[in-house]
Amino acid sequence: MNCWPQKVRLLKKSTKKGALDIMFADWLFFTFAVIAVLGATGLVLFRHPLNGAMSFIVTLIALAGLYALLSAKLIFALQLIVYAGAIMSLIIIIIMFLNIQPEDLPHEETKWMYLIGGAIIVMPIGLFMVKMVRTLPNISTEIVGNNFGGVKEVGIQLYQNWLIPFEFIAILLLVPLVGAVVLAGKRGKNK
Amino acid sequence: MSQLDILLIILRVAFGAFVPLCFIAVLVWMERRGAGFIQDRSGPNRANIFGFRAGGLVQNLADAVKLVTKEDVIPGHVRHKFYFVLAPVILFVVSVLSFAAVPFADILVLDGKEYMMQAIPTDLGILWFLAIVGFAVYGIILAGWSSHNKYSMLGGLRSASQVISYEIPLALAIISVLIVYGTVNLTEIVQYQGQLLFGFIPMWGIVLQPLAGVIFIVAAFAEANRTPFDLVEGESELVGGFHTEYSSMKFGMFFMGEYVALFTSSAIIVTLFFGGFQIPWLSTETLVNNARPITVLIMLLLPALAYFFVKWINKNNKSHYARPDDPRVREAQVYTKVVWGLVIAIEIVLLVYLIAVSGGPADRILVTFLQILTFLVKTTLMCFVYVWVRWTLPRFRYDKLQKLGWEILIPLALLNIIVTAAVVVALS
Repeated sequence: MNCWPQKVRLLKKSTKKGALDIMFADWLFFTFAVIAVLGATGLVLFRHPLNGAMSFIVTLIALAGLYALLSAKLIFALQLIVYAGAIMSLIIIIIMFLNIQPEDLPHEETKWMYLIGGAIIVMPIGLFMVKMVRTLPNISTEIVGNNFGGVKEVGIQLYQNWLIPFEFIAILLLVPLVGAVVLAGKRGKNK
Repeated sequence: MSQLDILLIILRVAFGAFVPLCFIAVLVWMERRGAGFIQDRSGPNRANIFGFRAGGLVQNLADAVKLVTKEDVIPGHVRHKFYFVLAPVILFVVSVLSFAAVPFADILVLDGKEYMMQAIPTDLGILWFLAIVGFAVYGIILAGWSSHNKYSMLGGLRSASQVISYEIPLALAIISVLIVYGTVNLTEIVQYQGQLLFGFIPMWGIVLQPLAGVIFIVAAFAEANRTPFDLVEGESELVGGFHTEYSSMKFGMFFMGEYVALFTSSAIIVTLFFGGFQIPWLSTETLVNNARPITVLIMLLLPALAYFFVKWINKNNKSHYARPDDPRVREAQVYTKVVWGLVIAIEIVLLVYLIAVSGGPADRILVTFLQILTFLVKTTLMCFVYVWVRWTLPRFRYDKLQKLGWEILIPLALLNIIVTAAVVVALS
């Protein structure tokens, strides 16, 4: 995620809209990025599952904002409809159904030990990432144009150049759906 | 950005924000008077300011004062106060935002620049509506859950499963409509509906896609939690459903959010199926080219309409028993003066337009106003259908509601998609 500010700044510079716009896009990027990271942190650290789920929704919305900054309109809309809207509301319904209270949650006395241990183990990878981002070449990027990322353009890509993989994925998604329906039906009959 | 750009941005955003809010008052009034009319009683007609009742509109003002000045209680057993307060805010903000991508007039061309007449000029169109409306369910779930009360919880659960199950036929109906229009951009969708079928029928969505229209309207009723699908707050079973524990303006937010959602879904239905801002048989270009004759026609029609309106007011606005110096008759006389004053003002504006500025950009602005008016009239009529259905049909039983969604609407919507796709492919 760290490699994005540079890219976005370059993207905006190439449009030559003036200093104010560049600043504005930068600030938007940083706001969304900080919110996304904070939401993800909340997902891990909050004790109550509903708090975790809500902060994850915040992350998903912030990511949608980042997609919009990259002028990927369709992915922006799909992120909101599918992830932030549909999937998360199903997860929240399940949390509501289970009605978990703070008393029901297990005591995690070793939580901080694990956190610190994990941080030490992950540290080299983090350092490696930072180093990798620093060595990124400073090439100016330009917006592809032709409304790239719009609904029609993505559709044409998907249904002309990537039709067979797309259909395969559709069938793959259909298989678990049918499986879930069959399994749910069986359990109902035994009762 | 020129000053014109900035002015238009402000105007469009103001329209997108304030018109739904103003329609809350109109819709609450329509709901009450509609209920009164259908149940053969008069509805609220007593609240007044210095004797002026505005046909019952003043009652809304009294309600607003009541809601604002009530004590704002957060019950002691509520553990998650943040979510308890957040829930009505989510519902209200989501309802207002979802109107942002609805076009209320055709693209306005000024100085060779095109302005999309939407609060947010995006070409995402219907996707924006779907994306934002999906969040409304969080408001209801959070309200039900954080109220920490069995009735609220049941209301929240019912609502969540109902909204999620009816989102599927809603989206499927939209897909078959999109196959016909070939675009998700709502402005383009409405422009498409300005064409004529066989040369004389307006190509409205309801003509091309009647089945999708019916499915969409039914699903939109369920999404807006309106009768016959208002089990969420079925007061005979659940007290008040998800908003049982709410009081004062927090309840007011739910209440207003519901009516804004009603307005927005009517606007979307009108946009997708009833030609949006299109005046039947008169496309934008025809209107712009014949701006002067149309203005003259309006100037002639307006006094005639006002005459009948005033006559209707004077006939109905009087006491039903003999009263000395009837205050209602005096009230009606003032209304008469106001109506004629308005008519004269509009006539003067139109006359100035005809003499001074007709031809050029003023024509386009006039056409934009006419289209906004058309859009609002159509939306109001659609809102009336909501009121009409609410006071005509009884509430569904919960299992029947789910059966209707899953076993009737979804298969029908899927069948409709297949048939539509086949016809479109065969015709192209």
